[in-house]
Amino acid sequence: MSSPAVQATGRPTARARLKKGGAARPPNPRRFGIEQRRNVTGWVFLLPAALLIMWMNFYPMIQAFILSLKTGRGTRLNFAEPLWYNYQRLLADEIFKLTVQNTFIYLIVQVPIMLVLALVLANLLNDRNLRFKGLWRTAIFLPCAVSLVSYSLVFRTMFSTDGLVNDMLMGLHFIDSPINWLGQTGTARLVIILGLLWRWTGYNMVFYLAALQNLDYSTLEAARIDGAGSWRTFWYVTVPQLRPMILLTAIMSTNGTIQLFDESWNLTQGGPAYTSMSMSHYLFELSFQKNPNFGYGAALSYVILIMVAILAAIQMKVGDKRD
Amino acid sequence: MNKVRKIASLALLVPLSIALAACGSGAAPAPTAGDTAASGPKSGTLTVWCWDPTFNIYAMKEAAKIYAKDNPDVKVNVVETPWDDLQTKLTTLAQSKETKQLPDIFLMQNNAYQKNVINYPDLFSDYGKSGVDFTQFPAGVTAYSTVDGVNYGLPFDNGTAITALRTDVLKQAGMTIDDFTNISWSDFITKAKEVKAKTGKPLLSGQAGSSDMIMMMLQSAGASLFDEKGNPTISNNPALLKAIDTYSELVKSGVFVEVNSWDEYIGTFVNGNVAGTINGVWIMGSIQTAKDQSGKWAVTNLPKLDGVAGATNYSANGGSSWAISSNANYELASDFLNKTFAGSKELYETILPSSGAVANWLPMADSSVYSKPLDFFGGQPVFSKVLEFSKQVPKNNTGAYYYEGRDAVSAAITKILNGTDPAAALDEAQKTVEFAMK
Repeated sequence: MSSPAVQATGRPTARARLKKGGAARPPNPRRFGIEQRRNVTGWVFLLPAALLIMWMNFYPMIQAFILSLKTGRGTRLNFAEPLWYNYQRLLADEIFKLTVQNTFIYLIVQVPIMLVLALVLANLLNDRNLRFKGLWRTAIFLPCAVSLVSYSLVFRTMFSTDGLVNDMLMGLHFIDSPINWLGQTGTARLVIILGLLWRWTGYNMVFYLAALQNLDYSTLEAARIDGAGSWRTFWYVTVPQLRPMILLTAIMSTNGTIQLFDESWNLTQGGPAYTSMSMSHYLFELSFQKNPNFGYGAALSYVILIMVAILAAIQMKVGDKRD
Repeated sequence: MNKVRKIASLALLVPLSIALAACGSGAAPAPTAGDTAASGPKSGTLTVWCWDPTFNIYAMKEAAKIYAKDNPDVKVNVVETPWDDLQTKLTTLAQSKETKQLPDIFLMQNNAYQKNVINYPDLFSDYGKSGVDFTQFPAGVTAYSTVDGVNYGLPFDNGTAITALRTDVLKQAGMTIDDFTNISWSDFITKAKEVKAKTGKPLLSGQAGSSDMIMMMLQSAGASLFDEKGNPTISNNPALLKAIDTYSELVKSGVFVEVNSWDEYIGTFVNGNVAGTINGVWIMGSIQTAKDQSGKWAVTNLPKLDGVAGATNYSANGGSSWAISSNANYELASDFLNKTFAGSKELYETILPSSGAVANWLPMADSSVYSKPLDFFGGQPVFSKVLEFSKQVPKNNTGAYYYEGRDAVSAAITKILNGTDPAAALDEAQKTVEFAMK
């Protein structure tokens, strides 16, 4: 079964190391001790953070999973029969399907536009000859400093029937009568996407700007000397070097959009007739506004988690070419 | 060696102690009343959660002043908590069984009562031993906070519905407020069309996708979205069908303007673009912000649904009641509420002129303050009128699933206005609610 060496000492590693070190030297207990102590010290340093993460992140996650297997209103929760009842129920929930559809529309339309825009802006603002660079960078990053709720409320006022946008469009004679932006499915979704673009483009731009600072300027110069125009330089020299950062922002944006809540809640209240409601908004409604159904809400949150995980995995596969 | 161990133990201790400290700070027990003698002046502190500084919080503070005259040692500590936050807090505390953190008294929306009492009975103390005489409150209002015949709420904010109209606009069309009193909805639409043709002003407005108007129409006929047993009755509900028919006719004929937000809704009549509104009596506060329209308003009852059994000209929208929590100093809290919100004319006479808070407490109907004519409403004694209306509001069953039902109907209305067949849209709403109740 096991080698005689192991049987003899019970400590295969020590024995193996001894052999490597040379048979002539006598066993050195101190050396082994230091290594072990170092290991222990390392673990001691890791342990508090690990325990905290276990306690504050993983424990609630496990509890949430157990909760997602229960049904009942309020505090009268019992294990569901069958256990996966809440998950099965999701498949029959028309409103849930609608919110999934809405969320993916936001994701598919908004994230690519935002990332391309952020990339272009970052490149423009990285120009060494540009004046007032700090001013432009601040101006584009500033929306990120605005609270999600307050910007949503401002957007709602701007896009109301008698709001700024309608007044402007009518003043310029693009339209004859005010558009009911938030009252129609298509335009309500459009307003949410516009809001997201305004709020988050600058945020992603900062990531690209940071990555651009680490980029070796000589590669750009070399490209220029070789006769590449600015577009070719951007596409063949800059973008490939930014790939890890693009991957990171793509994953973060996907993650954020799938968990979208504030805009859906504050801008449109999910209306008209649930057609602009996000998944997280529906989850909140199920748990806190309607008859509290925490088991079902927890099941929904696990479905969101799985979606985020799958999308992130796909993006890693597609985007990460390091190996 | 020693240093390493020191650092390691520090690394272990610091985050843990921070985490523990964070846990510990929340657990400190709230100070509650000391001795509560059966009679004589009481002492102690009452903590109250409610919202709106110019309305509910103001009223609560006035009540505290009045109670303090006989019980100088009682302090009332009001914590401002907006309704959405209050509901979230209650849900969280009930779910985590931390009822020790509840205040003594909290305010609750009437429509949310059934849901909360049925799901979280641990949050409430009932009014059984409070000595409050509930016959002095309108039956339609106490019904919201009564579960299985037990009272859980003391009605405060009056939600009786009124029709408020601009008399100057009506005059231009050759009509008076009497033409809109005790009428049916079909009369209303005919007359409102005439007003619009002559003056260009619609009479009503409201938030698109909100079903307030429908819910008021339903209650005016004593109907609701649920039957006695709490089962949804959204499809094949004649009162609901009629209400939706009426609503879509209002919108299509242009006498009801749909807007998107609450602020826009208020703006429509404050700016004078719309010549009236139908809502709970609390809407008077917003109407009176338009100082230039003083004397140009009048109040009357609601139109009633045509051809629906039990239809009346009276209804309600909103309103809230005081709940005593399970964590309360019950004797003090119930005595306080009984002697103020269910027993002090002085309180209601103080808060009415300054905040417009109309009582649900019926003995106030004879009060001289309530029968005082209001200049803003052309000299009408509006408040005693409202108390008269409130007695006649039919009671209906809101049910634990009120919000599910309301939202499903809201979605159905949006679809119906976009051309879906009403019966089909309501069948779908019924299915949505049945699904939510599974």
